[in-house]
Amino acid sequence: MMSRDSGASLILSLLISAVLDSDGLSPPGKPRLTSCRSPEKETFTCWWEPGSDGGLPTNYSLFYRKENSDTVYECPDYHTAGRNSCFFSKNDTSIWVNYNITVVATNALGSNFSDPVDVDVVYIVQPHTPENLTVVLEDEDNPFLVVRWEPPRMADTRSGWITLIYQLRVKLEKEEEWEEHFAGQQKQFNIFSLHSGEVYMVQVRCKPDHGFWSEWSATTYVKVPDYISRERSIWILIAVFSTFIFFVFIWTMHINRNSVKHFLLPPVPGPKIKGFDTQLLKSGKSEAVFSALVIQGYPPTSYYDDLLVEYLEVYDNKEQVLMLDRKDLQESLFKSKSSSDTDSGRGSCDSHTLLMEKCVEPKEDQTMMPQVKDSEASRDLVMKNDSNTPESTNVKTKTWPTICSSYHYDQNPCYHSIPEMPRQCHISSNHFASTHQQDYWESPADIYHKKPPSGYRYAQAYSEFNIKGIALKEATFPASKSLEYVEVQHVNQENTLILKPIGQEGPDLFHAACTGHDYSRVNRVVSDNVFLLQRDTSGQCHSDCQEREAPVRSCTQQQPGKPADHLQVPRVQETHLAPNGYVDTATMLSY
Amino acid sequence: MKIEERNQSINSLLTCSAPICAHGHTGCHSPTLSDLFDRVIQHSARMHGLSSDLHSDFEQYFLPSRNQIGRINRKCHTAYILTPNGKENAQRLAREELTEVILKLLAAWRDPLSQFHRSMARHEDFTSISGNKALEMSDMVHQLKNGVEKVAEKMQLLGMISNSLMSLSSTEALAPHSASSEARSMSDYELLYCFRRDSNKVQNYLKILKCRIVAEHGC
Repeated sequence: MMSRDSGASLILSLLISAVLDSDGLSPPGKPRLTSCRSPEKETFTCWWEPGSDGGLPTNYSLFYRKENSDTVYECPDYHTAGRNSCFFSKNDTSIWVNYNITVVATNALGSNFSDPVDVDVVYIVQPHTPENLTVVLEDEDNPFLVVRWEPPRMADTRSGWITLIYQLRVKLEKEEEWEEHFAGQQKQFNIFSLHSGEVYMVQVRCKPDHGFWSEWSATTYVKVPDYISRERSIWILIAVFSTFIFFVFIWTMHINRNSVKHFLLPPVPGPKIKGFDTQLLKSGKSEAVFSALVIQGYPPTSYYDDLLVEYLEVYDNKEQVLMLDRKDLQESLFKSKSSSDTDSGRGSCDSHTLLMEKCVEPKEDQTMMPQVKDSEASRDLVMKNDSNTPESTNVKTKTWPTICSSYHYDQNPCYHSIPEMPRQCHISSNHFASTHQQDYWESPADIYHKKPPSGYRYAQAYSEFNIKGIALKEATFPASKSLEYVEVQHVNQENTLILKPIGQEGPDLFHAACTGHDYSRVNRVVSDNVFLLQRDTSGQCHSDCQEREAPVRSCTQQQPGKPADHLQVPRVQETHLAPNGYVDTATMLSY
Repeated sequence: MKIEERNQSINSLLTCSAPICAHGHTGCHSPTLSDLFDRVIQHSARMHGLSSDLHSDFEQYFLPSRNQIGRINRKCHTAYILTPNGKENAQRLAREELTEVILKLLAAWRDPLSQFHRSMARHEDFTSISGNKALEMSDMVHQLKNGVEKVAEKMQLLGMISNSLMSLSSTEALAPHSASSEARSMSDYELLYCFRRDSNKVQNYLKILKCRIVAEHGC
């Protein structure tokens, strides 16, 4: 009977549940105990999570069993701790006792048990947050924070029942990261190294020696006053930076001290004289040093002393002129010497500047002169009017522009191709129409040879342009146009070429006659055994006028008044031209 | 703290550089009761830490198959010792009783822990670190008991507790014989579980005792 009833009720419940299932209703889902916590190790609370309710109102109940006891107790308090919780008061809580807790969900259709959980209250202690957190700023000059707090109210630390350790964290209001500090069991903490003018946030929490950390307490804000002025810190920064830069600069200078020394104190350049040895000078042998500089033959002052002396000796009636000329010579000489820097020891004929000077000089001269007709237009003939002034030199410096121009071609006109020069030079014959006895060319060569200038007229061309001082009384002189070659008579000490015109035997004959050697020329043969000798006078030597066009008369006029004690030269002989075009002057002399 | 240092620190309780003066001889520099309490409390904390570590290791490596972690089928062998289960109960106890409870607990665990250590050595799976911990733990129980006895003597010396209750031998004599045999039948895990709890009790009781006797500010 009973079994039939139970079987019937069972079948009925199954039918009902089947019917209910078809409507979506079911027994509740399995609840789950989430956590149990004790704030002070005297009470504890358990929370559960309900499962699905199955569409029906579900009732939850918590049952527990204590260790080694089979008595099942139900939760004494479902409300104190809120929904789905069970609060165990002090009377119901036993420490060091294992609780076996189960939650049951029940609805109309059934119930469901959660998994049991073993709880020992000692190990689930999680205190409340510390209380009365105070932060105080101390010591205005070097401020620091003093943080104080109280343990949570419910935790009994005074009797030693619970031992709490604390932790606090600090951060600037504008920052994101907290700075955590362990405070141990003490309830006070100091924070140093504060940023001036900033706002700090402080929090604290606690934990029992075996348990869980509490939540962080409420934040306490504190403002730190400006104890470091911004300006001072900026100045400190600038000073540090400047010092660093300074040290870097010193280090760089030290590394490059050689370059700096060169920059500030540039080395004094030493003398750079050719042939000058500084080491030799330092060694103290000045003689050896200076002897290296000395070039033989420079300066030729002593030579010119001789020159002057000779000059004076030889020409006495022309002394004045000679003096003047000598001055000019000196001037020219010195001028020439000074004008060139590399002229020392070398012949003046090498000095192209001298040549050029002389070429230019005629333009500077005051006198005008009759232009000597020449094939080359650049030829100038300078003549200075003889004046009463002794200074003004009746200088007839004949410039050979061809020489000037030729110098550009010849670098060593003195020593080679001597005939070339005369080839290019148009040397007027010395037969200047000058009645004056001063009309002659003076040259050092005259001096050299100690020839009495008077009456001597011979054409001597000198490449050395120290020629000056030919005084002309009258400006009448023929345009000499004859071409004459010169030959080197000799080379004087100064590497000066003493040239003389090359002629036929005429010049030689001339010369010979002029030099006064005992030569006689045969004038003509009169009869079979008589030949006329030609007597020559000194004046004949000056018959430079023996040019083609020169009238013989002028020639005779030139003669310094010596009796024309010479034979008449038939004119027809004038036409006797040498093959080279030169006139046999010998024939002309016989007037 | 190494074992040698631990032994030394415990021995310092007994024979420190400045010997503990008996009967208040003058000229001795003896540690104060507060210092003694601090030392024993430190030891008990260290001991409890070791037991917790070993228990968690055991749970991690040896008992994944257990359905209910933290539950034992049998009582601890020290269940015969009446220990206060709450703060009020503990505060209701007299100092002497509390001290006696502590000493009983410590005495009850000396043999089972050495047994446990020997058992640990036999386990090949256990690491050497755990074996060292077990050894240290068993040594520490013995030293802690000695230390607490010294504290009790000190307290009796200072008159804080009466001399009526305790004697060193009485604590061991009160232990029933069955307890030790019961301890031998317990498994290693059960031993660890029980000892973890009992070491916590010892530590807590010592703290209560200290705060009750050495009434410092804020304890």
